[in-house]
Amino acid sequence: MHRVLLICAVLCSAACPLAAVAQDLRVPASVTAGDDVTIPTTGSGKATFYLVGPGVSRKSEVSLGEEIRLQGQELRNAGDYLVLVCSDICNSGTFYVTAAKPASFAFLVHPSRVPVGQSDAVSGVAFPFDQFRNLVLTPVTVSFQLMAGNKPLFSKQVRTENGAAWFRTASGKSAGLLQVVASLDDLSAKRAVQQVASDPCNLRITGQRIPIGVLVQTEPVHDCAGNVVPDGTIVTFSATEANGKSTVDAPIKQGIARAQIEATGATVVSVASGVVMGNELRIGAKP
Amino acid sequence: MNVVFNFAGWLRRGMCLAVVFASLCGFVLSAHGTDSAVQVQLDTKKASPRAVESLTERGILRDYRFAWTSIAQAFELNSLDSLEGAFAGDAKQILRGTVLSQQRSGFTRQYLNQNHRLEAVFYAPEGDVMELHDTAEYELRITDGGKIIHDERVVMHFVVLMTPGADRWVIRRLQAVPQS
Repeated sequence: MHRVLLICAVLCSAACPLAAVAQDLRVPASVTAGDDVTIPTTGSGKATFYLVGPGVSRKSEVSLGEEIRLQGQELRNAGDYLVLVCSDICNSGTFYVTAAKPASFAFLVHPSRVPVGQSDAVSGVAFPFDQFRNLVLTPVTVSFQLMAGNKPLFSKQVRTENGAAWFRTASGKSAGLLQVVASLDDLSAKRAVQQVASDPCNLRITGQRIPIGVLVQTEPVHDCAGNVVPDGTIVTFSATEANGKSTVDAPIKQGIARAQIEATGATVVSVASGVVMGNELRIGAKP
Repeated sequence: MNVVFNFAGWLRRGMCLAVVFASLCGFVLSAHGTDSAVQVQLDTKKASPRAVESLTERGILRDYRFAWTSIAQAFELNSLDSLEGAFAGDAKQILRGTVLSQQRSGFTRQYLNQNHRLEAVFYAPEGDVMELHDTAEYELRITDGGKIIHDERVVMHFVVLMTPGADRWVIRRLQAVPQS
């Protein structure tokens, strides 16, 4: 009976060789990324050392009783590290490497082009990273500033939460370049947003009869804040006469949209751009 | 006495069979460690400032599970191919570095019986980046030259940054952190 139990114990220990090896090494609780670390060992003779972490899988021979040196280069990635020292048995220890101080930003700003006067239209997110590109999770204060020309438009200080700081605000009133800056101590990141005119406002047309129909054109097209609506914006002219209706799309060029419409009878011309309607123009029949 | 002898014989045969069976099971499980399903649960209730749409939630679940299956395969087989698709930027670089240094050192790690409780904590206003916190539970097994040198059930916490790609969400940062 004892022999049977002994055989089973041997088989079990062969099948589960780690049952008695989990002992702790004296490793640091926490290390800053890029710092050197030494781990003391006890005993004598040779052992195999393993470092198992993010971006590193090191195996080397060490002398027990001497310190094991881990160079900062091996510990540049934040995360958990497992240390194993194996001779007859394996001793293990774990520690965390945390991010160093912020050295750069990931700064995302949206959109790249925005109509003026829109609420909650511009947003940005900043993630501070250390010199090894580890996400800095320790709360830091990021300053967001929006400048239209030299005029400050928006300014806010935001404490990072879980490594992220963000803002959202309205676009300005004037078309032009909007500078968006995130800064933290002596670090800063800049992005640019192009502010463009909003929808046309007070769309007005003038026209005249010409030998082959009517020629109509808009007055300079502005939005309600007086910004020139960008070239390429489509304006739709519709001409209605007794025998039918025709429609022409024309892009704005140098602030004005122009179209030539074939019409011989008395014609009513209307204009629209997007959802904005303009005035109606009545032109008499061809004499 | 005869009864006791028979019982001992039965016990001996039974225990040895049990050990053989357990060893076989262990071998089979080990050989197919990366095939075991990665369990992922996702909670998006705390995500802000943008709410997570249900379609996005399904995409995150699918792609995060795929990412951890890829990690497990890459680290067990010391293969870089498995890392294609699920990672980008720093995360991909670090994982590739891990596999390459494992290839040099000659040992492997296995992540077995993975269970991930994922929580979305930040979703950018324009939906271009999401931060998630993962409480992961798995068996970490380190093998060197066919010998298991470390085998431990661990609970880890990860901070994860994911961004939407052309057809999937990719992990850009996967950083283990101490439990807060």
